[in-house]
Amino acid sequence: MTVWQLFFQQLANGLTIGAIYALIALGYTMVYGVIQLINFAHGEIFMVGSYLALSVLLLLGISQPVTGLGLLVQLPLCVGVAMIGCGLLGFGIERLAYRPLRQVQRLAALITAIGISFFLQNAVMLIYGATDRRFPAVIPSIRFEIGGVTVTCLQLIIWTSSALLMITLQILVMSTRLGKAMRATAQDPKACQLLGIPVNRIIAITFIIGSSFAAVGGMLFGLYYNTINFHDGYMMGLKAFTAAVLGGIGNIPGAMIGGVVLGVLEGLGAGYLSSQWKNVFALVVLIGILLFRPTGLLGERVADRP
Amino acid sequence: MIKRPPPSFLWISTLAVAIVFPLVHQDSYVTEVLTSAFLYALLALGLNIVVGFTGLLHLGYAAFFAIGAYTYALLNLHFHFSFWVGLFPAAVVAGLFGVALGIPAIRVRGDYLAIVTLGFGEIVRIAFTNLDRWTGGPNGLLGIAHPTLWIPGWGLYDFGVASLPYYYLVVGVMVLVTAACLRMSRSRVGRAWAAIREDELAAACSGIDTFQLKLLAQGCGGTVAGIAGAIFAAKQGTITPDSFDFILSVMILAMVVLGGLGSVPGAILGAVVLGTLPELLRGFEQYRMLLFGLVMIFMMRLRPQGLLGSVQIRRELLAKKSETDDASPS
Amino acid sequence: MRRVLKRQWGRWIVFGILVWIVAGCGQHESPVIKIGFVGPLSGDQATQGQDMFQGAKLAVDQAAAQGEILPGYRLELVALDDQRSPTQAVAAAKKLVADRNVVAVVGHLNSSCTMPASAIYHQARMLQITPVSSNPQISRQGFDTFYRTCATDDLQGPAAALFAVQELKAKRVFIIDDMTTYGRGLANEFEKKLKGLGGEALGHEGIVQGDKDFTPLLTKIKSRSPDLVYFAGMFPEAALLIRQRRDVGLGGYFMGGDGLFDATLIELATPEAAKGIYLTTIGSDIHRIPTAKHFVEAYEKKYGPIGAYSSYAYEATHLVIRAIKVAGQKDRQAVLTAMKTVKDYPGLFGLQNFDAKGDSLIRDIGLFTVLGGKFVFLKTASWNSSTE
Repeated sequence: MTVWQLFFQQLANGLTIGAIYALIALGYTMVYGVIQLINFAHGEIFMVGSYLALSVLLLLGISQPVTGLGLLVQLPLCVGVAMIGCGLLGFGIERLAYRPLRQVQRLAALITAIGISFFLQNAVMLIYGATDRRFPAVIPSIRFEIGGVTVTCLQLIIWTSSALLMITLQILVMSTRLGKAMRATAQDPKACQLLGIPVNRIIAITFIIGSSFAAVGGMLFGLYYNTINFHDGYMMGLKAFTAAVLGGIGNIPGAMIGGVVLGVLEGLGAGYLSSQWKNVFALVVLIGILLFRPTGLLGERVADRP
Repeated sequence: MIKRPPPSFLWISTLAVAIVFPLVHQDSYVTEVLTSAFLYALLALGLNIVVGFTGLLHLGYAAFFAIGAYTYALLNLHFHFSFWVGLFPAAVVAGLFGVALGIPAIRVRGDYLAIVTLGFGEIVRIAFTNLDRWTGGPNGLLGIAHPTLWIPGWGLYDFGVASLPYYYLVVGVMVLVTAACLRMSRSRVGRAWAAIREDELAAACSGIDTFQLKLLAQGCGGTVAGIAGAIFAAKQGTITPDSFDFILSVMILAMVVLGGLGSVPGAILGAVVLGTLPELLRGFEQYRMLLFGLVMIFMMRLRPQGLLGSVQIRRELLAKKSETDDASPS
Repeated sequence: MRRVLKRQWGRWIVFGILVWIVAGCGQHESPVIKIGFVGPLSGDQATQGQDMFQGAKLAVDQAAAQGEILPGYRLELVALDDQRSPTQAVAAAKKLVADRNVVAVVGHLNSSCTMPASAIYHQARMLQITPVSSNPQISRQGFDTFYRTCATDDLQGPAAALFAVQELKAKRVFIIDDMTTYGRGLANEFEKKLKGLGGEALGHEGIVQGDKDFTPLLTKIKSRSPDLVYFAGMFPEAALLIRQRRDVGLGGYFMGGDGLFDATLIELATPEAAKGIYLTTIGSDIHRIPTAKHFVEAYEKKYGPIGAYSSYAYEATHLVIRAIKVAGQKDRQAVLTAMKTVKDYPGLFGLQNFDAKGDSLIRDIGLFTVLGGKFVFLKTASWNSSTE
């Protein structure tokens, strides 16, 4: 294959994982926007999403690619269950663990978050086993050749579904009353309370939305790689957080861009440089951003405090 | 009011028990478990300086442990440094890395600092795994020499794989480190650290050089971990990168949290409890991570100052967020 | 008073725990001889560890059914979990060494665990037989207490290279390993032999265990057009590599080592993608060896399908039992000495003998392929390492 073909192939690969990073990153960025907390457990929520989707597929007895009715009914059911399940999980975590600590110093909340992350990982390991689980390949494996570059049907689905979700979220945040309330809460929660905006509810909704997006990411992840493991949340969470910070924490379009940029950079790095340093590369990006440009590419859109 | 025995009495009696115990109950397995627990206690003491005394949330502490271990191992394998000589460079190198990491992160806010340190910890582990020409890669380093001691009238005593000598070595080092930590916590440096922990901006405004002190804390933390790392390498004879993963960092943090942030006896207690529990509950290893998670969640909710932490710490942890906390990190 | 107690309860907890340790570790006198077993019984290699354990247990149960192992003593298997961690392996080794009733050890599974543990067993002059740790370095340490019932990677790698070059006519090979003691060692052995046979290593890269996305690496490999991709690692990553190479359109052969020998590989990779891949195993196909028939039947009756490791554990445990009987006494040194007298032992794989380093002289490397969703045995290579 030619140099250009190789490049575009790597690009396509990177875009796919980047889209998944973006979906997870949205959760981090939205939560940080409203309560200025890094939800360490968010990576685990993503992982739980993939396991929930797997459970539904196993329950429905699907292991072959589905077509027709299956596509319209069973897959949405799968996604729906995963989204609801993770949404509830995110809500539960916020309500029980973070809300009591919301007014106080962050150290306690961070430690709690780490504790939740560990707990979830281990709980899933105990329930589902420590070995990789096979995630059925339910998307028909159709390939398209575009100028020497192979793109699968699944990749197209990942790109379009994440793009759709993100556009929907952006519309929600920018144009609806709820979105306006969310933005207001991120800017100044105390003023919002004075104005009668139900801050607690807004925060809960933020968690629910972020978690359900992570769930979609989890299912797409499972579909793409066909194996899931209880340990997936850790690295994916870290990288998605990198993406969120890269784009500017608290900034929703930033999270999307950050995810895509990170995915592409990582794919190109692994393809042209070295695979075994792939994770180090992402971590170096993370540390670099946090140290030298914490506001990220698009700038931090967190509270403007006096 | 009933008179409480002075703290020094409790320390000395605990030390006496620790010294006498393996001689009374001779079981190399039990001695081994306790040695491991005390090694964790060393790490907990070190992390306590960074997190407990100074309030810097560090999630990559295992990296310094690794640096200490590999430094001693490499010096021993390539330059035949004996353990007693190699111990010092190991501690110093690890301490320097602590400072070096602290410099760029000096102005990074609490939660971001946690992520930066986490990232650093992972990078160190992956680097040790990948740079196999120098570090032996995933195989790690083998054939690291055990400590030897020249006993007059006896000859050269090799620690080998016996349990007892390491036990006393670790206990001895622990005494020194504990004493140092106690001293520091009561000194001006310790008070300055506490001030930084409680409110960094206010501390800076009252003339405390937060830059130097934060670096000092991280340097001390790194040094202690380096010492522990050298001991670990000399004891195991073989070190592999997967012994120094994120789970270890979190485990040490859980020990400090359980025992009480900022409390020196607390760090030791937390380490002994969480370090011996997996062995006592053999058959429940798979619940280990679950346990650490639960410890952290419930400690923060029920008793944020841990088992032995001070009321002061509790007050700080539950204090309302100040307005200045949410300023952008620059 | 309450305040005092409240502040001191931490110290009481310590005291209580120490008491607990002391109480819990009391030795009970009972006429028992124990064989120690260590392996990853929990964690991500639990299935292999359990499989190995079951092989050992079968041997012990069968021996116990035949009566007392020595007059007045019954035989027991004590199993410890090392979770694939070298640190825990060392702790487990020390625990076994401290137990006076343990006269020999079967274990561990992972070379990274067996290695440090072997030093401890050696120091305690206790016999150790590892069923499946294949890293050659372990037996080169010079421990006379160490034995091994499987072939080593310095045989497996070259055998694979020979097959690749001579039978598959694959001279341009890209090598991948999973950066573990086992994977790196095996890949290096393969590469050495490949070059010795005039083949060309187009590249040698590592992947990280637990990673999922190998498409960048595979795309890069595709651009080099290799005849064969050799992967030294475990089946989870192998399955992903096998599937993803299809997705990127990478053709040519795919070959791996014994880490791939697990039915889950085919399941995760899908039978279609896995069709036609090759792999070597550290020993021949257990189902085809007439001397192993009784074991296969007994195992499958009790535990179900046989995994890759149980037969070696069974063999190792039987050797230990033989050594105990020959020794005639519950003494570690005597058992060790008895083990050294092994000559033409009628084991599962034929007549078993060991060389001076403790490695088994049965050096069969099995060769398998995948067809129709199953592993299909091709042939055995009886390999004599030229480095001997």
